[in-house]
Amino acid sequence: MATSDPKPAASAAPEARFTVSPLTLAVDRWMGRLIRFGGVGVVLAVFGMLAFLIFQVFPLFVGAKVSPASALVVPVDAVAFGEDEYGELPFVVRRDGSILCLRASDGAKVMEWTPSLGARRVTAVRSYPRTGLVFLGLSDGSVQEVRIAYRSTFDDAGRRTVEPVVTALEPVAIGRAGLPCQDVWNAKGPQSRLMLVRQDDAGRPLLTAVRLTERKGLGGRGKVTVSPSFVVAADASSVEQVLLPSTAESMIVVGRSGEVRTYADDGETFSFLQSFIPFKDAADPAVASAGLIFGNVSVVFVDKAGAQQVWSMYPQLQPDGKSLRRWGKIHDGEKLPGAGQGVYAAESNKCYLADAAGRLRLTNMTTGTVRWDGEAPSGTLLQVAFAGNYDRFTALSADGKLHRWSVVDHHPESSWKTFFGKVWYEGATGPAYSWQSSAGSDEFEPKYSLVPLFYGTVKGTFYALLFALPIALTAAVYVSQFLRPEYRQVVKPVMEVMASLPSVVLGFLAGLWLAPLVDPRLVSLFCAIGILAPAALFAGVLWSMLPQPVRRQVRPGMEFLWLLPFLALCVWGAWQAGPAIESLCFTVKDSATGVPIADFREWWRQTTGETYDSRNSLVVGFVMGFAVIPIVFTIAEDALSNVPNALVSGSLALGASRWQTVWSVVVPTAISGIVSAVMIGFGRAIGETMIVVMATGNTAVMDANPFSGMRTLSANIAVELPEAAAGHTHYRALFLGACCLFLLTFVINTLAEVLRQRLRERYKVV
Amino acid sequence: MSASSDSSTPRGEAWVWFSGLGLIIGLGMVVGLLALVLMNGATVFWAPPVPVAQVDDGRVLIGQLAQRRIRAGSPADQPRFERQYQVGLRELNGNSYLWVDEAKIKGETFPADILGLERVENGPAFVRPQSLRKSDGEVIPVTDPAFEAAFQAEVAAAAAVREKLVEITRHRIGDVNAAMDKARVALRRAEDLKLADEVAALQKEIAGLDGRFAALQDEAKQVVAGGAVASLVSQDAAGREVVVPLTQVIRAWFPNRLGTWGRVKLFGSRLGEFIFDEPREANTEGGLMPAIFGTLVMTVFMSLLVTPFGVITAIYLREYAQQGAGLRIVRISVNNLAGVPSIVFGVFGLGFFVYVLGGSIDQLLFADQLKYNNNTPVFGTGGLLWCSLTLALMTLPVVIVATEEALAAVPRGMREASLATGASKWQTIRDILLPASAPGILTGVILAMARGAGEVAPLMLVGVVKLAPTLPFDGTAPFLHMDRKFMHLGFHVYDLGFQSPDSDAARPMVFATTLLLIVLVVCLNLGAIWIRNRLRARFKGASF
Repeated sequence: MATSDPKPAASAAPEARFTVSPLTLAVDRWMGRLIRFGGVGVVLAVFGMLAFLIFQVFPLFVGAKVSPASALVVPVDAVAFGEDEYGELPFVVRRDGSILCLRASDGAKVMEWTPSLGARRVTAVRSYPRTGLVFLGLSDGSVQEVRIAYRSTFDDAGRRTVEPVVTALEPVAIGRAGLPCQDVWNAKGPQSRLMLVRQDDAGRPLLTAVRLTERKGLGGRGKVTVSPSFVVAADASSVEQVLLPSTAESMIVVGRSGEVRTYADDGETFSFLQSFIPFKDAADPAVASAGLIFGNVSVVFVDKAGAQQVWSMYPQLQPDGKSLRRWGKIHDGEKLPGAGQGVYAAESNKCYLADAAGRLRLTNMTTGTVRWDGEAPSGTLLQVAFAGNYDRFTALSADGKLHRWSVVDHHPESSWKTFFGKVWYEGATGPAYSWQSSAGSDEFEPKYSLVPLFYGTVKGTFYALLFALPIALTAAVYVSQFLRPEYRQVVKPVMEVMASLPSVVLGFLAGLWLAPLVDPRLVSLFCAIGILAPAALFAGVLWSMLPQPVRRQVRPGMEFLWLLPFLALCVWGAWQAGPAIESLCFTVKDSATGVPIADFREWWRQTTGETYDSRNSLVVGFVMGFAVIPIVFTIAEDALSNVPNALVSGSLALGASRWQTVWSVVVPTAISGIVSAVMIGFGRAIGETMIVVMATGNTAVMDANPFSGMRTLSANIAVELPEAAAGHTHYRALFLGACCLFLLTFVINTLAEVLRQRLRERYKVV
Repeated sequence: MSASSDSSTPRGEAWVWFSGLGLIIGLGMVVGLLALVLMNGATVFWAPPVPVAQVDDGRVLIGQLAQRRIRAGSPADQPRFERQYQVGLRELNGNSYLWVDEAKIKGETFPADILGLERVENGPAFVRPQSLRKSDGEVIPVTDPAFEAAFQAEVAAAAAVREKLVEITRHRIGDVNAAMDKARVALRRAEDLKLADEVAALQKEIAGLDGRFAALQDEAKQVVAGGAVASLVSQDAAGREVVVPLTQVIRAWFPNRLGTWGRVKLFGSRLGEFIFDEPREANTEGGLMPAIFGTLVMTVFMSLLVTPFGVITAIYLREYAQQGAGLRIVRISVNNLAGVPSIVFGVFGLGFFVYVLGGSIDQLLFADQLKYNNNTPVFGTGGLLWCSLTLALMTLPVVIVATEEALAAVPRGMREASLATGASKWQTIRDILLPASAPGILTGVILAMARGAGEVAPLMLVGVVKLAPTLPFDGTAPFLHMDRKFMHLGFHVYDLGFQSPDSDAARPMVFATTLLLIVLVVCLNLGAIWIRNRLRARFKGASF
């Protein structure tokens, strides 16, 4: 195509100098493609960044995926079950106490065991599925413990085979001799093991317990001593359900009328602690079922109408003024779709499965979020157990089936409420916004409320702007309107240098130099800052009262040079006067010695009852000024100096003074540019990280006290993300924080940009 | 505000003065901060006279004045001051720094025999020398006129021994260790895959390396045994005897005897150590070479990445893309990316570059490495490459905006003239637009570099460490190790200032590092401003 002449009229071949080399055209085409590809690619990458952040956060707001995995046919008289860690070889316990172990993959029988008890019969069965412990309550009031252990062996090819091993221990006499056991429980406390049986003593429930203490010998198993049996909860008139925490520290007895009685281990026996009726106001106050949540300090109650309540132990103020840990309602759960029949807790988090007449519902106790809602199998569920790592749960139904569901729920504790709502966490005295991502114990529930971080961000930004805006805006007005142009060429680069100061340097100076420096001279500092504005104004007034020949000495645009020594003098004076003012106004009695001292910090603590930290919001605000001032200054100065000259000249020609021109013509014209500058400064202050990390205590508190620190979204990410495990809730919660920061700054900056564009249009019209 | 007694005073003049206040504070802040950093940073290397202070309670201390501040709890109207002395001799005093109530200092004298020592371990020492015990048993008392010459000669000899030792223990043994680690991973792989030949070869190699290791250790022992073991016998302030082996001494000076030229020389030597040496004593002493080098390499890489992409995008936006509402949105978005907090880029870098990209690279290219080296990631963890990429993404808008502005500033006539003479679009861009906007692009790149060099928050997430055992650039192939973690000046400031166990000892170092960082960043910025001003001047006359 390069050689063809566009004009058909020309018959001869075009002169060589008019032909374009095909290489040139090819290069042009290829470079065009490359640039298009690169340009579009980069633009897409920029948007991809936001997409990636959202993609990382998205799993936090997805519910649990629960799907039925298998159903194993077991004898219809099976009443309890258990399984190994991987769920390969579940076993069921039949009503007569015999144990049948099956292979989960094909239902084949692996092992069968029958108790040999002579004349005694098995009258009660309890299995603890995770530990492989089965307790058989016998007809004479004694209990036999059966342990099912799984032994793994590896053959030469490295294949693993697992076989169950049953060990039956000698029965232990617990209950009143002769009365058959109706139910049996077991729990392992820190010192001893507790075994509890329920019997029926002529229509009255009888709960009897023993403690088993194992003294570890030097080699092999220790000797187990059994304490004399003791009656517990003798004052309970009826016993529907007994909840025994796995730590055996307390006991909860649910009575027929819906009354719940709690008991605490007092070392000897269990003493009565508190009684309450959860569904006091309902038509039928009876508790249909109750379940202890992982962590052993919260109980979920459901009633026959499907109402749910969560009660927990937390410090409560008693009438005598003492604060004691007592049970109290912390949540009202969402109503179940049917009558409550059972509550089964997960073993590694605060979720529980509620069985509600044909429906199953997986709920997070803390936030009340429904993780999953699904169809229940046909038979009544006798027992449900979650796997230790929360990837499945298994249920035994009365029609002889062992159902299994697989669970995919990576972030059971997260929901909108977790991050943005007030949540009543276990052990807390009320609902609160709190961020606390880690602690020592496993049972600790991480708290991921972003609200305190937002609060800290806004607080830091507020103090930064409070300090920076007046300085930046007045400087912008002065530089753009009054300052002599030759000075302007110096001032603007200096401001740009200020913008380029690394924030880590600012943070270091704030935290390690400024904070300790101003700490003892706080009043001096306030005086020095407070004197500035009146002094400058005073200088101006004074100057305008001088006769004209004197005034002519100061050339317009040079005022600041004259102002400088005067202000320096005023600041020095105020700084020196600080201690005197401090002793005049802020003298308080030292709390330790009782001697009156002049100390603002102590005065602040005693007068307001608030804390005083040396790394506080004011220090942060001041130093963040270094980051905010130049950016606001530059943009505002641009907007002000680009105001069309005709407007200014017109105003001056009409006889307005230079200040009147600025105040009534220039500033109103450029106001959207100034607002835009403020917004961009706001955006900059929101995202500032290193200054906040280094110059505050980084505690996630929510108070407006100017003398305390804060934790901002950005500082939180910088401090915690290096330690967060990839993919975990903590990690994603930090990503959520980053996402919020991104969106917040992006929206603010876009608004500012739109304002500036409108301003430009306006200048064009003028 | 009408304050006119004289009718000719224009209204509102007082407010004009008032608005000058903002400018004064702003300028004062910049100048004050720079002066503060300059003063504190530059005096770190200066050796002032060292006093012997007599304290009320009978204590005598020898130390360099470090700080002076108001005593905590002293009444605000009658502040009492206290002084901090750097007394050194941490092994004896427990702490190198000591606060003394100023009111309790009876007097200070500056005896000429005070000797300052900078030591390899336990920080500096200020002592009164007694005698020099040479390796051959000869003892030269301090009163001997030959003492000083002999002492300095012995210090120099000991330094040579120490350097030899460092060469052996750190570099040569380090190389052997690195080779050993590599061979062990290869051996594990070979054993797993049952490659008998390779196993044998690798076992042989490891045996050989073991032999070399032992030989080097022997060599090190010989150096120690054969070298000078002269030591300095001296007394501390309390009169306790302090024996310092001279291999421990890096530098020795008589602070109260030095003339100005001597102090300048000492200043130069310390500054040289600061810039060219490796850190010692948990980064609180020694030099900053790895951090300077790391910052430099990272910044250069970042600019190599950001320049082509930024320029191509700007050319696309300005010259190729359809101008319209869509493009305006894109342009605003790109501009606004500059306002997105840097930590967000760090989060993105960690989530995408490190875990997604790095993790995939490891799976694809370093599967063996992962399998046989305890799942130690290569690229799936923070490193130089990811830091450069993250900062490149962060500074991309700076370059795009600068380039776009520069392109827009090229007069339309030049463009049209070029096209009219028959140049293709690309030729116009290459020969007219890019050369004309080169200063503008350079300004953008320099600003990006300044921002990148000073940024810390995102780097904390994607690969900066407080102490990197190796530089990202060394003699082993492939010479440039993009996967390595590195040290950075900004992070050094953060780490020393906030994570250092001995904050007093770290303080001078932080100020020095701060000064260096600020000088670097300010110079880059001033360079950019200078180029921009020249650019403006050039285009002033170029409008057609």
